[in-house]
Order: sequence, then C-alpha cells, then structure tokens
Amino acid sequence: MVKHVIKRDGRVVDFNNQKIVAAILKAMAVTEEGEDIVLAAKIADAISKNGRDEMGVEEIQDCVENELMNSPRKEVAKRYIAYRNQRNLARKAKTNEIFQTIIDAQANDITRENANMNADTPAGMMMKFASEATKSYVDECLLSGDVREAVAGNYIHIHDKDYYPTKSLTCIQHPLDKILEHGMKAGHGESRPAKRIETASVLACISMETVQNEMHGGQAIPAFDFYLAPFVRKTFEEEVDKVSAICNTDYSFLKEAVIDDYLKHDLIGLQGKERALQHAINQTVSRVHQAMEAFVHNMNTIHSRGGNQVVFSSINYGTDTSAEGRCIIRELLNTTYEGVGNGSTAIFPIQIWKKKRGVSYLPGDRNYDLYKFACRVSARRFFPNFLNLDASFNQDDAWKADDPKRYIHEVATMGCRTRVYGNRFGPKTSIGRGNLSFTTINIVKLAIEAMQEQEDKDRRIQAFFQKLDWALDISAKQLNERFEFQKTAVKKQFPLLMSGLWLGSEKLDDEDSIESVINQGTLSIGFIGLAECLIALIGKHHGESEEAQELGLRIISHMAEKINGFAETFQHNFTFLATPAEGLSGKFTKRDRKTFGVLPGITDKDYYTNSSHIPVYYHCTPEHKAKIEGPYHKYENAGHIFYVEIDGDATHNPEAIMNIVDLMDKYDIGYGSVNHNRNRCLDCGYEDASEGLEVCPHCHGNHIDTLQRITGYLVGTTNRWNSGKLAELKDRVVHK
Amino acid sequence: MADGPGFRTAIYCAGCLHHCKGCHNPQSWDMAGGHPVSVEDLLADIKSDEFSNVTFSGGDPFYQVEAFTNLARRIKEETTKTIWCWTGFTYEEILADKRLSMLLPYLDVLVDGPFILEQRDTTLLFRGSPNQRIIYLTPKEDDEIPGAVPLMPLR
Repeated sequence: MVKHVIKRDGRVVDFNNQKIVAAILKAMAVTEEGEDIVLAAKIADAISKNGRDEMGVEEIQDCVENELMNSPRKEVAKRYIAYRNQRNLARKAKTNEIFQTIIDAQANDITRENANMNADTPAGMMMKFASEATKSYVDECLLSGDVREAVAGNYIHIHDKDYYPTKSLTCIQHPLDKILEHGMKAGHGESRPAKRIETASVLACISMETVQNEMHGGQAIPAFDFYLAPFVRKTFEEEVDKVSAICNTDYSFLKEAVIDDYLKHDLIGLQGKERALQHAINQTVSRVHQAMEAFVHNMNTIHSRGGNQVVFSSINYGTDTSAEGRCIIRELLNTTYEGVGNGSTAIFPIQIWKKKRGVSYLPGDRNYDLYKFACRVSARRFFPNFLNLDASFNQDDAWKADDPKRYIHEVATMGCRTRVYGNRFGPKTSIGRGNLSFTTINIVKLAIEAMQEQEDKDRRIQAFFQKLDWALDISAKQLNERFEFQKTAVKKQFPLLMSGLWLGSEKLDDEDSIESVINQGTLSIGFIGLAECLIALIGKHHGESEEAQELGLRIISHMAEKINGFAETFQHNFTFLATPAEGLSGKFTKRDRKTFGVLPGITDKDYYTNSSHIPVYYHCTPEHKAKIEGPYHKYENAGHIFYVEIDGDATHNPEAIMNIVDLMDKYDIGYGSVNHNRNRCLDCGYEDASEGLEVCPHCHGNHIDTLQRITGYLVGTTNRWNSGKLAELKDRVVHK
Repeated sequence: MADGPGFRTAIYCAGCLHHCKGCHNPQSWDMAGGHPVSVEDLLADIKSDEFSNVTFSGGDPFYQVEAFTNLARRIKEETTKTIWCWTGFTYEEILADKRLSMLLPYLDVLVDGPFILEQRDTTLLFRGSPNQRIIYLTPKEDDEIPGAVPLMPLR
C-alpha cells in the first residue's frame, strides 16, 4: 500500500492516486478511443494497493507503464511513454542549447548575466554549465508547485537559484577582528594572529576570498578602519625598535608616545628623540600605504569562486577618529586616488564612507578633512559611496562616542546596497550577519494585469493590491521553504564562514546543522519597477506626479508592513529590499512584452526601472530626485540606494559630491552615490569626462576605457553588460 | 557643472557686446533678448534652493551692473550664499571703471576676460581659454588636506 512518495529532491509527500489518474487520462485524451476513467482509476488503485509504503516518482511511473502495457489499451502506454521521454528530452534539449551558447562563448544574456564574471574563461564556462544545469534541477525538484508556477509566470524571480541546491547563504559582513586576533585556517594553511599592518591587510583579503567560495553573494568588512587601526600602532612600535637598533639608543619609551596624526614630515632640523619619533612615523605611513595598495590590488586581481570572479568585496569606513584609524583611512584614500597598476580606477573593493554628524561629516568634525578628501576621491574614482549613519533608521541608542567598539552599533552595507541591521533573534548589528536569500516580485506585471482587468482607477488599484498580497505570500512561502532547505546544511560545509565569522557559529561542531545560527540572517523580498507599476496603474510615475508619489508610498509601505508580518508568522528576519536587479532588469521586461506587447511607458524600453527610483530618462534636479526617492528608504530595510547623475568633469567640482551628501542628510536617505563619466586612455593614462570619447586627445590612441556603474559595482568596459542594462545606460540623463 | 563649484542657481542675463569668436552662448548676445525678471523673483528662486550657491553669467552681467549689484547686495544681506560672476571684461577694466566696479564688493569670485578661440583649452577649470582668470575677491576656503597625495592639478 503506497502511503508516501519520495520526490526527486528526496522530500517525502503523501501519496495521492488522483495524480496517477490524471496522468493516464492525459495520455488517453490524445488517442482515438479517448478517455476511460474506469480503467484509469483501476490502474491507479492497483498501483496504490500493490506498491510499497514509500516509492519514488520514477518507480511509480514505471508501474503505470507496466499496468498500461498489460491492459487492453496498449496505445495509451505508448503515448504515456512518449510523453515521459518527450519531457526528458525537452529538458535536455533546452540545456544542450544553452550549453552550446556557453561553449561558443557567445555574448548573450546568459553569459552576461553577471557583469563581474568572465564567462569566457574555462573556469567561467564551467561555472555557467553548472549554473544552467542546477537551475532546472531546482525547478523540477526543489520548488513547490505554486512557487514554480509563479516563477514560470514571470511574477517572481528567485535570486541565485543556481546556488539553491548548495544550501549556501548570500553574504556576510566579516568580523575581521576575530581573524586578526586569533588567526585562521583555510585550505591547507593555518595563519597566526597578525602582528603588523602588512599581515593584517593580507588576512583581510584572504578572509573575503575564502568565504566568497562558501557563499553566493558579496563579502564586506563593516569597519575597515577600526579593525586595522591596532596594527598601525604595532607597525609603529616595530619601527621604534628599528630606530633604536640603528642608533644604538634605547627609544623604546617612544612606543608610549601620544601621536595626534600619522603625517609624514621631513627629518631636516630634527634631532634625538624627535628625529627618531618622526622617522618611525614616516616609515609607518609608508608601510600602511603599501599595505593598502596591496589590499586593493589583491581585491582586483585574485580570482576566487572557481577562478572566474574577483570577490564582490566592499569595505565600510570613516568613523574611526583615532590617529591610527585616520592613518588607515587616509592611506586607503590615497591609494584609491592614485589608482592601481598604471593608475586605473580600482573596481573593487566598493568603498563606503560612513557619514556621521559629529564624526565624519560636518566642518569641525575630527574626520571632516578625510570626508572632504573622500569626496574628491569619489569625484575621480566613483568610490567611496556614502552611507548615512544619521538617517532615522540607521541609528542605535547603544552607540556611544567614547565606546572603543562603537562600530558594532554602526550600520554597514554591502556595496550593492544589501543591508542587515535590525535583528529579532539577537543583537542589532550588521556584523557577523548577512542575507540568506532573496526573491524579487515583478510588481509591473501585477499592475499591467490590474490595468487590463479594471477600467475604473480605484478598482484597478484595489485589484493590484490583491495581486500584490498574493505575490508577497508566495514569495514569503518560497523564502521560508528555501530556509528549511538551507538549515539542513552542516557546519563543515562552510569551513571558514561557520568557524566563528557568522554570528554564533563558533559553538557549532563540524556535523551540527547550521539551523541554530542562520536565523541571524535575513530573508528578503524585493521588487523592481515601481515607476512602470505606477504608470500602469494611474498613467504617471512618482517623479512627475504627486498622486503617483502618494500611491507609490502606499504600495511600498504596504509591502513593508506585510513583510514585517511574515517575520512574526515565520519567525525569521524577513526584510524588504529595493532589489539590485542586474540580470533581472531585462528579463522581466522581455517576458512581459511578449505577453502584453509594447505598452507605452511600461514595456517600451528594454528594462524596468531600478526599485523605487525615478526613471533614468526623466529630467529633474538632484534635489527633486532626493525629495521623491528619500521617503522610500525607511521602508526598504534590506537595502536601498540613491543615485545622482552629474555631468561635466566631477574632479573639477568635488563640491557637487558634497552637496549630494547634503541632500542625503536632509532627506533621510540611507545610502547613495554619484554617477559621472570618466574616460581613461589605456595607452597614455590621459583622463577626462567628455561624452563618447573615442580617440585620446593626448596620444591619439583609441584604447579608451569608460567607467560606468551597474547595480553599485563599477564596470570598466560595457561589453559584459547585458542588453537590459545597456539600454538603461543609454537612457540615463544627468540631474541638474 | 561648468557654472562653478557645487550646486548653483545660475542666472543667465541677456546681452553681451564682447562677441568672442567661438562663444558657447551667442544667442545671449542680443541686448534686447530675454525677458525682464524682478530682483524679488530672482531672490525667491535663489532662496528656495538651500544647497545651491549663486552664479551670474550670460550674456555679460556687467552690462546690467546696477540691477546685478542690487540683486547681489540682497543675496549677501539675506543669505550666506557665495556668488561667482563671469564677465568678458578684464578685472583691470572693471577696476578702472567706477560704475562697473560697484558690483565687485558683493562678489566672491570673478572669472574674467574674453574667450580666445585660438587658445581654447578644455582642461581648464571653469574657463575656456588660459587668458581668463579665476579671481578670488573673498578669501578662498582652505581646502588643503594634510597627508593627501598630490591631487590632479586643476588649472
């Protein structure tokens, strides 16, 4: 008697003989004699009676085949077998076709899904094969029926679906102090705690590079300045010992010296201990500079994750006001300003300036000089971006100015915008935590459906909200299911990540499941295309109409509220994400255009507008953009970003960057950055900001690299951009 | 962003007699062009944007020096905004003319001199040709950053 069925993924579900009946009737329907419900039921009954308690899907299908062969309706058996084969073949053929495009190294939206990955290299190809193969496995074996339908229907998109079977989590903010103070084990190597800045900076790289292989998203350091500062002092102490040795004089008392700032000065005119002190400082600054250069260089050159991707790395800094912390920040900015190699802009790590009143923003703040410098660096190198610690939702009462570990209470972000801060199951912090998985809702499609079903505006909006609730419910269900699957992983699958970097993981044994600790992470529901959604509902987007803005805020606050409810229901940290949709931006649109045709303002472009942004083609002032987009940030607690496009040469006008940060400060904006144009001649190093530069005015070479930003990341040449993002780039207008 | 540092409310006036060859804005030469706007209206516009400083350009504001002096005085009395002013006259010409120099006390920066097409240089900061000068009439804010690497030279 069959009681349970083992599905392809190993999940056990209750046996339902109606499914067998339905399958047989389907096969009968395409034969001349047609359906015979009595026979179908008889066969289903026979199988359910004679089968074992637990049977696999394929086994049951074999039984159906046998029963049909032994019945008078052999032609039905033929149809049934043909149908099974067809399905298998179809699955394979589709995969083979995709494999062929990967082999041919064709540039298309499959190979260009991720602009940071070089899918043409052997390792990159290998990864794409695996990725394409696992995606169909996930569809067939891991998703429940209604979720699969919602995905197939283009209503929701499961991010990093190819990684689903690996049970990997998305990303983490590294508690680097643990590694620096206790050392680490990775692969075949073991490292001791760091004693000087060079080792500390290399350990920071290794930590991110190693953990990147254990996860499917980005790696970040939440307080780069605070973590590395102690090693500036240790380096200084080393230099004092060196001076003592060379001068044959005991200067060890200088190790206690109070240093206001680590600044290089000429030794001319200095004697005795003053000379020794300044020399030690000069040497320390040089070594810190070298260490920062090595750090940035490593983050841009060492490929990890199968050898085809550099780490999606981000570092947060700006609030350490100690002389040592300031030395780290200054030399990092110096090295970033100078560029890597022959002066190229470093693509990684994404740098994030933590802007905080009283610390790193206002004239008179201890780190104001470095903030001004950061704006100048951003004007040339696009980074740092700016994280607004003063935003109403980015604050924590536990933060105290005199607490040496106050960074624990400071929000940190992944460069792409992903934000983890609030916590229902532990301390409110970004550190040692990250996103577990996220899923994006195509709110544009829901709006188009509502538009086509309802003439009346109010009814249309009402219909939209109903559909939205359905999509939210199914997304929450899907994320919860993925969580249930992820939690079955054991600690040893994530050797470094779960060795103490992830909050609470140090107490796990190798064979322990990670269930008890991953609730520290977030499950995020995101969305794309608020602008197009609003156009579908009321004909205008929120940049151009107050009514649309009001409705936009109603939609987004409703989603936020509902998602908070999921956190209660499912007892997970559910959060709401303004999705950084790189591969997705064109995918949803293409499908919807096929379904609905070209709808003006909605599906007439090759992309949907990023999250709650005003469309990139819409002309407005930076302040208008800030005023409209700002109010959404407090709802989007899993991350958001504010962009302003400026024209002209930003290096001529770093004050404009400061003004944009002022807008962020005024309009309660959480995270933002400034986009501009930067050309660089790869032959002679000439730089400017002119539009469409093709020939270098200096050396007349034609190897011009133009930098652009895509979902928060910089991309040098645009040939790795997918078609949707390229179309969006062409439409971008400057805000003035 | 060519109108001076940071966000700026730029007031473009009509009328200019310098007629520099290669002028980027020759449609503004017509002394009878444009439309009249009151000082009050301009002031309201300027004040409505809390982050923007002010730029006078054109045209050449010095052909309407009384009106601009009036506006500039009000800006200085009622706001903390800085004023950058572009002109085709040279600083020396303005200084030598009592009437023209009435605007100077209210300006923070004067960018002076005619554009000379033959000397055109697009890498210059806020100017078209090297004869033009950025003249700070009020002390320039100290923007030295201790310990920073040499920044790209701005000329």
